[in-house]
Amino acid sequence: MTQELLTDTINGLAAIVLLTSFFLVANTRMHQLVRTFTLQSLALGLFAFFVAYYTGAEHIYLVAVLTIIIKAIIIPRFLDYTIEKIQVKKEVEPLVGIPLSLLICTGLAFIGYYIAEPVIANGNIITKNCLAISVAVVLIGFYLMASRRKAMSEVVALLVIENGLFLAAISITYGMPLIVELGIFFDVFVTVLIMGVFVFKINRTFETLDTRFMRRLRD
Amino acid sequence: MMVSSMGVQSLGREMVGMYSQSLFQALIIILLIGAACAAILHKHAKLSRSVACSAVFISASAGAWLAIDVILNGPVQLGVSLATFFGDWTVSLDQIGGYFLLMVCMIMACVAVYSLGYLKEYDGKYDAGLMGGLLCLFFLSLVLVISSNNIIFFLISWELMSVLSFLLVMYEGRKEGVAPAGLLYLIMTHVGTAFITVSFLLMANYTGSYAFSDIAAGWASIPMDVRSVCFVFLLIGFGTKAGMVPVHIWLPAAHPAAPSNISALMSGVMVKMALIMMVRSFFLYLGPVQTWWGLAILLIGSISALVGVLNALKETDIKSTLAYSTVENMGIIFIGLGASLIFDSYGLTAFAALALIATLFHALNHAVFKALLFLGAGSVLHATHTRNMEAMGGLAKRMPYTSAAVLIGLLSMAAIPPLGGFVSEWLLFQSLLLSANIPDILIKIIIPVSIALLALTGALAATMAVRFFGTVFLARPRSERAEDAHESPRSMLIGMGFLAIMCFVLGLASFAILPYIDNVSASVLGVSITSQLVDGIFVSPISSDFSTMAPLLIAVLAIGILGLTWGMVRMYGGKQVVRETDTWDCGTPLGPRNEYTGTAFSSPLVRIFSPIYRSQTEIRTEFTASPYVKKRITYGLRFTDIFEKYFYRPLVRFITAVSKRLAVIQTGSIQAYLAYIFIMLLLLLVIFR
Repeated sequence: MTQELLTDTINGLAAIVLLTSFFLVANTRMHQLVRTFTLQSLALGLFAFFVAYYTGAEHIYLVAVLTIIIKAIIIPRFLDYTIEKIQVKKEVEPLVGIPLSLLICTGLAFIGYYIAEPVIANGNIITKNCLAISVAVVLIGFYLMASRRKAMSEVVALLVIENGLFLAAISITYGMPLIVELGIFFDVFVTVLIMGVFVFKINRTFETLDTRFMRRLRD
Repeated sequence: MMVSSMGVQSLGREMVGMYSQSLFQALIIILLIGAACAAILHKHAKLSRSVACSAVFISASAGAWLAIDVILNGPVQLGVSLATFFGDWTVSLDQIGGYFLLMVCMIMACVAVYSLGYLKEYDGKYDAGLMGGLLCLFFLSLVLVISSNNIIFFLISWELMSVLSFLLVMYEGRKEGVAPAGLLYLIMTHVGTAFITVSFLLMANYTGSYAFSDIAAGWASIPMDVRSVCFVFLLIGFGTKAGMVPVHIWLPAAHPAAPSNISALMSGVMVKMALIMMVRSFFLYLGPVQTWWGLAILLIGSISALVGVLNALKETDIKSTLAYSTVENMGIIFIGLGASLIFDSYGLTAFAALALIATLFHALNHAVFKALLFLGAGSVLHATHTRNMEAMGGLAKRMPYTSAAVLIGLLSMAAIPPLGGFVSEWLLFQSLLLSANIPDILIKIIIPVSIALLALTGALAATMAVRFFGTVFLARPRSERAEDAHESPRSMLIGMGFLAIMCFVLGLASFAILPYIDNVSASVLGVSITSQLVDGIFVSPISSDFSTMAPLLIAVLAIGILGLTWGMVRMYGGKQVVRETDTWDCGTPLGPRNEYTGTAFSSPLVRIFSPIYRSQTEIRTEFTASPYVKKRITYGLRFTDIFEKYFYRPLVRFITAVSKRLAVIQTGSIQAYLAYIFIMLLLLLVIFR
């Protein structure tokens, strides 16, 4: 593989991660949401794989494999299982309409570039575009979290933010020390488990996953 | 000046520093162990109480030893050092710290002995382990406030002291009125701490260090305006703790609500923590003193003193009276501090030293007599189970030792020679009179006004003392509770007795004590005036031709004249015949209800000062069938607190209105909160990209 093709592949995969974030915003069904998240994680895993190939850092291979196993296989399965188990309604029920959301997310992507610009201007790493993308992904994930009602979508949104951070970590530093990466994987895994439990609890207490009902907890 | 003296003495102090460190560590460890043991043994009330009180007593002795050593030999580093993000958390004791530590330890030791007997009353009602543990930790927090040399460490200790004292106030939480008082205290103390925090962080920001010693050295890098802002904030912050008008309202509510041994500590000692920090901040940390700082403190002090004593006169609750008297005495102390700052700002350091010595000495006297009075009030409370003065009376016969101790405390409070309170107030008057030497006409007008206010306060304080003693201890019992009163257990009497003796010692031996206080003030102002202040047993302010006084001589003369009079009366008056009959009563049997009450005693003054009291009297008469025969006459007297009406009510209304507006953003919806965070994040990212 030539150097140029490799760079293009890495950038292309990063672009897919961004694109899938847009898909996530546009998805209307819960299962679709999880599918798209799987796709994003897969793209992220491959991204890590090619970065590992490009830099020759062996531990990133392990990170890539772990990403695919945990984020593209185990977590989506767990999410699907939860959705089935508590029989959440399939609609996503966004607070903001989807066309408007997409426009806002485009704006967020611009902001991502704007924010990352000073950093990009100084660096000369091949993955420099990826920083802007990762900031955009984090922002979109945050937006997703703020604009959805169901606790399930909040969980997915958090995972998207995490993916964005992961992308930033890999692209800027070419991977953190392995022990840190492992720690993060473990964290994410445990977070999802705990949130799964909470989703069960919320469902049982309020008979719904609509977090708007948690207003009752005020005062 | 402090830095240089530390440098010179540091070499010779190394050996001494070693045992100071051990003493300090022993003090901390004993208190921690005491607190832990008291908490563990909470099921066995008596054991738990003994452990806690002995721990406090032993550490107080260790602390007193350490403090005396520091006062005599100069500052020590106490070693314990912890490197953090905010600089080293060192603990050190300067001379003024030593002085206040001695004060704390002395009162603590007496309170520990007193508590052994006093706390018995709470057995079975409230947890003994809680009280013991909190008492130990409270002592520890006081020591840390005095000795911490780092802003953050200090703020933590300060907050610890506030929270622990709040918990102690809330000890009798099930009693009516305690919870609101505690809440008020908690709110006020946190407002105060907020001001202190802002001010100290400003100072740290400009000097670039969190260590007090660095700030003292680097005050020049703080701009003048910021120094003034810091001064105002510190005055409000520490003033809140010290019971300064108009932020005093919590003090008369919270101090009486606590168990009496704790009231003694709060009124005697805790308010002084504000004083020590004010002295340190205004003289050492904020650079050259500005005249208006002193004037502000002087004016606030004069008003506090008058407001405090006037309110003390109207109260019928014995502990509230004493708490208002604390406001008054802190006002007097502020007058001294203000005068000292004014003199210092004009470069009249010797006069400043005199005023500061008077301030520090009055702080010590107040600590002793106020602790004594609160312990006495606790003893009365212990015997009668009421705080209402009008239900007492005749206790002098039933509780002779308590009444004697309280009488001594009251005399010292009323500044009667030769007790301690007299010497310090006398010195204060002298130093204020020396203001004639200041060239500024404004000050020449203001200081005499505050002298007049101080004189008025003194007279009213004496009235208050007479009213207090007369209503509580003299005449015949006004209620069955007072009738059945009994003397307190020995441990309580020992605790009070020692403080009563201290009242005498501080007065009679003032000529020996003042040079040491001068030593302390010299560490702040750099000028020693011992040679001018004390001459043998005579005490005189700077120039002895101005005026001079010897408490010991006064005592000897007083005793001599008393003895002489007695002798003359015996010699020429003939034999005394004791005849026991009823008082002439116009045919109506006189009962306790005919006695002069506390309210009646202060009634003339309430009339004279009615613009301040805003009192409303209501007399309602109920008739029987015939209009000539009255069934019952009720007398109601209501006071309006002008600070509450014109300062706090509007403030509370304003805050409530603003809060209601702001409550709109608290929707309770997760999405809204996420959106707030999101928008904030975006803004920050875009601004600081």
